[in-house]
Amino acid sequence: MKYFLPPEAQRAVESIRRADLVVGIPSYNNAQTIGHVVRAAYAGLNKYFPQLSGVVINSDGGSKDNTREAVLSTHVDDNHLLMLSTPMLPVNRLSFPYHGIPGKGSAFRMIFQMAKELNAKAVAVVDSDLRSITPEWIDLLLRPIALAGYDFVAPYYHRHKYDGTITNSIVYPTIRTLYGTRIRQPIGGEFGVSAPLIARYLERDDWETDVARFGIDIWMTTIAVAEGFRVCQSFLGAKLHDAKDPGSDLSAMLQQVVGSVFQLMQQYAGVWRGRKGSQPAELFGFRFDVGLDPIAVNLDRMTQVFKKGSAELGELWEMALQRQTLQELRAVSHAVCNEGKPLHFDDDLWARIVLDFACAVRKHPVAQGQLIRSLTPLYIGRVASFVQDTRDMVSDQVEQKIEELCLCFENLKPYLIRQWDGLPQLAGVSAGATNTQMAGESARMEVN
Amino acid sequence: MIQTLEQVLQGVLDRLQHHITTYVPSLVAALIIMTGAWIVAVLARWLIHRIVKGLSIDKFLRQSGVAYMIDRSGRLRATNVVAETAYWGILVGGVLAGLSVFNTDLTTQIIQGFVFLLPKLFMAGLILLAGMWLGQFIGRSTLVWAVNEGLPSPRRIAAAVRVIIMFVAVVVAADHINFARNIFLAAFIILVGGAVLGASLAFGVGAGNSVRRYLDDRRESHDDKTPEPSLWSHL
Repeated sequence: MKYFLPPEAQRAVESIRRADLVVGIPSYNNAQTIGHVVRAAYAGLNKYFPQLSGVVINSDGGSKDNTREAVLSTHVDDNHLLMLSTPMLPVNRLSFPYHGIPGKGSAFRMIFQMAKELNAKAVAVVDSDLRSITPEWIDLLLRPIALAGYDFVAPYYHRHKYDGTITNSIVYPTIRTLYGTRIRQPIGGEFGVSAPLIARYLERDDWETDVARFGIDIWMTTIAVAEGFRVCQSFLGAKLHDAKDPGSDLSAMLQQVVGSVFQLMQQYAGVWRGRKGSQPAELFGFRFDVGLDPIAVNLDRMTQVFKKGSAELGELWEMALQRQTLQELRAVSHAVCNEGKPLHFDDDLWARIVLDFACAVRKHPVAQGQLIRSLTPLYIGRVASFVQDTRDMVSDQVEQKIEELCLCFENLKPYLIRQWDGLPQLAGVSAGATNTQMAGESARMEVN
Repeated sequence: MIQTLEQVLQGVLDRLQHHITTYVPSLVAALIIMTGAWIVAVLARWLIHRIVKGLSIDKFLRQSGVAYMIDRSGRLRATNVVAETAYWGILVGGVLAGLSVFNTDLTTQIIQGFVFLLPKLFMAGLILLAGMWLGQFIGRSTLVWAVNEGLPSPRRIAAAVRVIIMFVAVVVAADHINFARNIFLAAFIILVGGAVLGASLAFGVGAGNSVRRYLDDRRESHDDKTPEPSLWSHL
């Protein structure tokens, strides 16, 4: 379905006519922080791309705190940027409200459509609540596309070991296992995108699904890796941003992100079935260690949420999980609820839970929302287990632990494919066992 | 005396002969029709098994959750449902056709009743099935929501939602077949009204202090303007 720009945005495009680079900033009530982001974007374009024309576009979701006014009135002083050369072309600044379903995806759609009509070579999108963004981020997100021929630049941050747990425990391992590319922050929020990939995004007709909300990040990453676009990562340092809305609904967010992963998994089944193992994506930027904000976790409350889920959601978990997975999950639950043991999900069990849910969502599309929302207590339980396991670990050790989880997911790919195809599982399935059995099967096939 | 006895016996034999000549052919015809219907029903069931197997109705039933609702193992096959429905439909049709051979007031009434009632019964069955499906679906959504929101007794809340939806379906189905319409409607009004009244009283009597405390806390927290940090903000 073709997307039409709002009239004022269309007029602005007709007036500017052309821009080589675009920096898009989606926003909703971010008047406090967006000025800093606009300054960084503006400075980044002027300092690192003085020979190219650029536009900073704010796509706003109807803010009531004068976010748009903050964008347009932000003062940018070039004198302190220590420019290497004088910019040849001015950087324009635009701010428009987008139309359609409220959410980041709808905001991106307007930015991409404007970029396409401006014939932009590359687009960078950055969140409007960033406190740690610097002009270098714009360079790191745009240069691989503008000068090195990449189509998609994903961010790579240093994050606290308990930060980004949806990424660490579900999205990163799943995307890596399915599509064979190691993108460490597939739902990072900051991306660089090339003109051909933008054209591909715009021609798709699933903009008005969960993609319009939290699903946009994973949607963009998945299309890039699944459709064979050139993908890389840029090291941006630490990501510091405003705390999320305390009232935000975790299960709704989980549904949108994980639902998008599972939905795209169905669309790209023909792609991921044939991919084996995984390869690291090229990483640009100078890596350095940074101090991170501490994150407090409440293990008792997380365990309580898991216990409650175990007591009440058996009916749904029974629908979603394979018999062996369910038995092991019940054993975990029994150990926690009846024997008072600390909550512990091993990697293999967690990987099978996620993969079983992916297959169940395909099998029961009508109950998709219920199934994914019923994953919430399991996910919180897994996070609690992860927090306990990594309590005394430093950043590198935690990263190693995540790597082990990813390998577990990768080893279970034959298990996933068998379940996807509706075939019975081989006896004694686990990540290790699956590998051994598959090796045995391959050997038999070779003999035959 | 003997002559009278002969007349009586003759009368009995005549009546017997009359009954035999009147009803036995009808009975034989009815039996033939019913047997024929049974044979056709068996054949139809066999044929449908062969034809429907290739269609994707099974997939639809599985994906929509209807299969899981009727058969928890999820192994319900549309082929069996369609074939059995056709089998029993033809069999009942055969029995009715067989009965119609007798052409009596009673059989005519039975057939008329059945013919008029059957579509309504079928629709009522569909309404109940839809109610069951909807009740299960919304009940499950409620269960997941209640668990994720940390509400007390999520399963009871979900069960209550299921019961209410099922009850509404029963009332609608009963109304459709004109069966005890007023009783069901009155029961429904009494139940819903009673539930609302009970809940209001319970809330007013039992939760008055809690509500007051909650409102006071809210007012204080607004005054402080320091919202409690979310447990999940880092997730």
